Amino acid sequence: MKRKFLIFNLIIGLFSLISSLSAQSTVVVSGSIKDKQTGESLIKAVVRIQELPNAGIISNEYGFYSLSLPKGNYSVVVSQVGYETLIQKIKLDSSQSINFYLQTKNILKEVVVESSRKNDNLTKAQMGTETINMSSINKVPVIFGEKDLLKTIQLLPGVKSAGEGNSGFFVRGGSADQNLILLDEAPVYNATHLLGFFSTFNSDAIKDATIIKGNSPSQYGGRLSSVLDVKMKEGNNQDYKVNGGIGLISSKLSIEGPLQKNKSSFILSGRRTYADVFLKATEKFKDNILYFYDLNAKANYQINAKNKFYISGYFGRDELGLGQDFGIDWGNKTGTIRWNKIISNKLFLNTSLIYSDYNYNVKLKNGETNFNINSNIKDLNLKQDYTFYASGNNTLRFGFNSILHTIKPSTFSGTVINSVAKTGRNGFENALYLTNNYRSTGQLTLDFGLRLSMYTLMGGDIYNIYKNGVAGSTVKLSPSDFGKTYINPEPRITANYRVNDEKSIKAGYARNVQHLHLLSNSVSSSPSDQWIGNSYNIKPEIADQISVGYVTKAFKSNFELSAEAYYKYLQNQIDYKDGAEINTLSDVESALLYGAGRAYGLELLLKKKEGRLTGWIGYTLSKTERKIDGINQNNWYNARQDRTHDISIVGIYDLNQRWSISGVFVYNTGDAVTYPTGKYTLQGQTLYQYAARNANRMPAYHRLDFSATYEKNKAKRLHGSWNFSLYNVYGRENAYRISFKDDPNNPTRTQIIRTALFRWVPSVTYQFKF
Amino acid sequence: MKKILFLISFCATILVGCDKEINLVLDENKPLLVIDGSITDLAGPYFVQLSLSTPISTTTSIVGVNNARVIITDQLGVKDSLVPVINGLYKTQKIRGIEGGTYNLEVLVDQKKYTASATMPQKVNLDSLRINTFPINGEIRYSVIPVYSDPIFLGNSYRFIQKINDSLDQTFHVFNDNLNNGKVNQRPLRGGDDLLKIKPKDKVLVEMQCISNTSYLYYYSLNLQSGAGPGGGTAPSNPPSNVVGGALGIFSAHTVQQKSITIY
Repeated sequence: MKRKFLIFNLIIGLFSLISSLSAQSTVVVSGSIKDKQTGESLIKAVVRIQELPNAGIISNEYGFYSLSLPKGNYSVVVSQVGYETLIQKIKLDSSQSINFYLQTKNILKEVVVESSRKNDNLTKAQMGTETINMSSINKVPVIFGEKDLLKTIQLLPGVKSAGEGNSGFFVRGGSADQNLILLDEAPVYNATHLLGFFSTFNSDAIKDATIIKGNSPSQYGGRLSSVLDVKMKEGNNQDYKVNGGIGLISSKLSIEGPLQKNKSSFILSGRRTYADVFLKATEKFKDNILYFYDLNAKANYQINAKNKFYISGYFGRDELGLGQDFGIDWGNKTGTIRWNKIISNKLFLNTSLIYSDYNYNVKLKNGETNFNINSNIKDLNLKQDYTFYASGNNTLRFGFNSILHTIKPSTFSGTVINSVAKTGRNGFENALYLTNNYRSTGQLTLDFGLRLSMYTLMGGDIYNIYKNGVAGSTVKLSPSDFGKTYINPEPRITANYRVNDEKSIKAGYARNVQHLHLLSNSVSSSPSDQWIGNSYNIKPEIADQISVGYVTKAFKSNFELSAEAYYKYLQNQIDYKDGAEINTLSDVESALLYGAGRAYGLELLLKKKEGRLTGWIGYTLSKTERKIDGINQNNWYNARQDRTHDISIVGIYDLNQRWSISGVFVYNTGDAVTYPTGKYTLQGQTLYQYAARNANRMPAYHRLDFSATYEKNKAKRLHGSWNFSLYNVYGRENAYRISFKDDPNNPTRTQIIRTALFRWVPSVTYQFKF
Repeated sequence: MKKILFLISFCATILVGCDKEINLVLDENKPLLVIDGSITDLAGPYFVQLSLSTPISTTTSIVGVNNARVIITDQLGVKDSLVPVINGLYKTQKIRGIEGGTYNLEVLVDQKKYTASATMPQKVNLDSLRINTFPINGEIRYSVIPVYSDPIFLGNSYRFIQKINDSLDQTFHVFNDNLNNGKVNQRPLRGGDDLLKIKPKDKVLVEMQCISNTSYLYYYSLNLQSGAGPGGGTAPSNPPSNVVGGALGIFSAHTVQQKSITIY
């Protein structure tokens, strides 16, 4: 570790030297960009200089910007979605610090999703990236009226839902565990509530979310398919505010306000469902327990102009149960402490200490006997991230990340069984990264970097080594030992070439490596899915993705059309043998199988961002396959989430100042599944014969949702809004499951039964703010 | 508030998953040979049923294969050529099933050879049956616990066939001793579905079979197959079995004990 710090100090020294050399002819303007009303820092705001068309920068995650300019008088243009563009004249004869405050626009006309703002092709080379604006998510209809970040991102091309009403998602053919979901930098291991029907993100506490589909910059790592970077609100540092919502499923309340006016603030936000209250009132379901709650808290404290602390936390829990006899509860806890330090007007440092914990417990009580299953995963994570604004053309980002993982696999205990003591396994994951954003004075923007990821097995457990599924030698690591270390370089590059003001071409390559893997024996997400780290058998998963893209304005610049094509190859993918009991096996590795995956596709997105009608049409054409030794006779087969066509249409229309209406239509090819190809009788029971895996299709899925929002007079102190929505307007019975069974009236006949979940789900939600 | 309550109850009524029978065009594979044979520790004869798989759309029936040569040998050197009875059913003539015995099956049909080998585990005594009750939402549910002492060594597997008033419970109840090795069993057999619920005064017959780990995996895999789609289980495939040569089914050597109990 010491050596690592030494290297960093050296690098910093070097950069300071370069900057002092180049500083002779230029001066630096730096500072923060903030919301004028609330004092929230604004992420990814664009700062441009009217007189110098090639100068510009995007504010970082903490609203900080820094620009090196020749001395002179300039008009600075600061813009951000949902805000009035600010033009401010400045006189630069020496380096100085200036904060910009932006005013919110009166009527939100922008769309929920903004991938390329008016002028940001200036500085951004990133591909496959979409940012979700939380303040306008309200208007998109969702099931049960519960605004949900994860369900809204599923409407983007390349992102697919895990199933009806489900918050789980697949990105570009990856599996659900290949998405890195970060809440204020802390990984969230299970981002769903109530078996997947809700996400853990309380939309009232969220400021901003960005999804990057595989081409993430080098500061991100650890998952193959995507990064979903969710940031909590900081809280209003001007005034105390309360807002809340009352819905059919849950209610929520947030309080925010200044700790020190203009400088520091806090926010507290809670949410709880109350289906259980109503269940208790019924005779039939009075013993059922079914609820979840979550709590978000965040505070920031500014020590001086150069140092600021943030502390944020999330706590959420689900409880499901049946009287005294059965219960399952699970939840995440995360905590992040961050220290922003402006080392110089060109060097920004953020240090984070992050904690994340996910666990589940199952309890079964059967008369005199008890039975428990539990498992947990804990992370302790230290991160340092430097941003160096080298010159007008280069912005460097570098740092390190060290995570100590403690993983306790599913462990059984109780009176009826032998409590097998399974020791937890520890893993030490480290990464070093360096990335440079380079803007040529012409039309080219380049982002290139390298991430070096390392995973070390730590002592305290016995590792079996399997050859062709048969246990061979074992490695016993005593608690002070270090086992095998996997080291993987992850090169990443994206290039953006601006053909003219309306068109640009992009291309990129990225390698991502994943050291933690989710073993799941159910198709949709289950709280009892197990995480497992690398071992002597389980090698890091590797994905290589190449992609090309084209963005153009269309129809008098009212629309933006973007197209992206990708090809991805996955190595060291994990599955398990037929009939494997992954929870009760003493060593789950004995049942694992390994192989490869490939995914390719084309994503089209047509967006209208301004005017009374806004929205988008997304289309994805894709193919996703797996080839695992020991499955499907070692041939390639369709992954379950392989859906050839996927369409989503989102439209929001402002009727007048008070009413707006919106609609969502989705269509996708049914999941790849395995239907029987024959049947036979064995010991008096009908059994089914199967051929190739996932060679069949579920019926196509499609659905239309509609919602209307009424906002009361905004000038009043108490500002309320009503949202009415109808999920599945035409009551399509989408297949959730297809099963085969004997016809109860004629057992010699086989029935094919389609189970559908939701038809016409109406909901109403009241939101208030004062 | 009243309105919300009304809406909730309204939602609850429409949220319940609805099942509907549909038509699907399915791929049809060439019929495969199905072997369903067993040797037990009871007195013979023992039977092997040979049949062919049929398309899903046809009437479920046993399409017997009658032109086969079926031979079972044991580790003592006894070679038994089975004789056809009816519709693909073959019966043994002299072989005797004993605990710990290994039996090799050979089936020859149309110049194709299929083999399977099975070893009968030692018998674990079924001591008794007892009734397990638990209240849920004001209703009392019943299930039966087979009482037996699992031997001290790891790797014992059991199958239970449950008949409620002579109706066969279609679940494959299989237990192993991964978690309760060497203990007295306290795990109940699941009480069947809504069609076959155990009620007071019902007579429940339980057959306990001590089976091999291969058989356990076969039945356990069958249990995991619960339909296709996001709401289904794992991707189904033909369960792993001891039959070699490309046929479906299983050849099992197991012990058999039966007990019955009447729910009070």
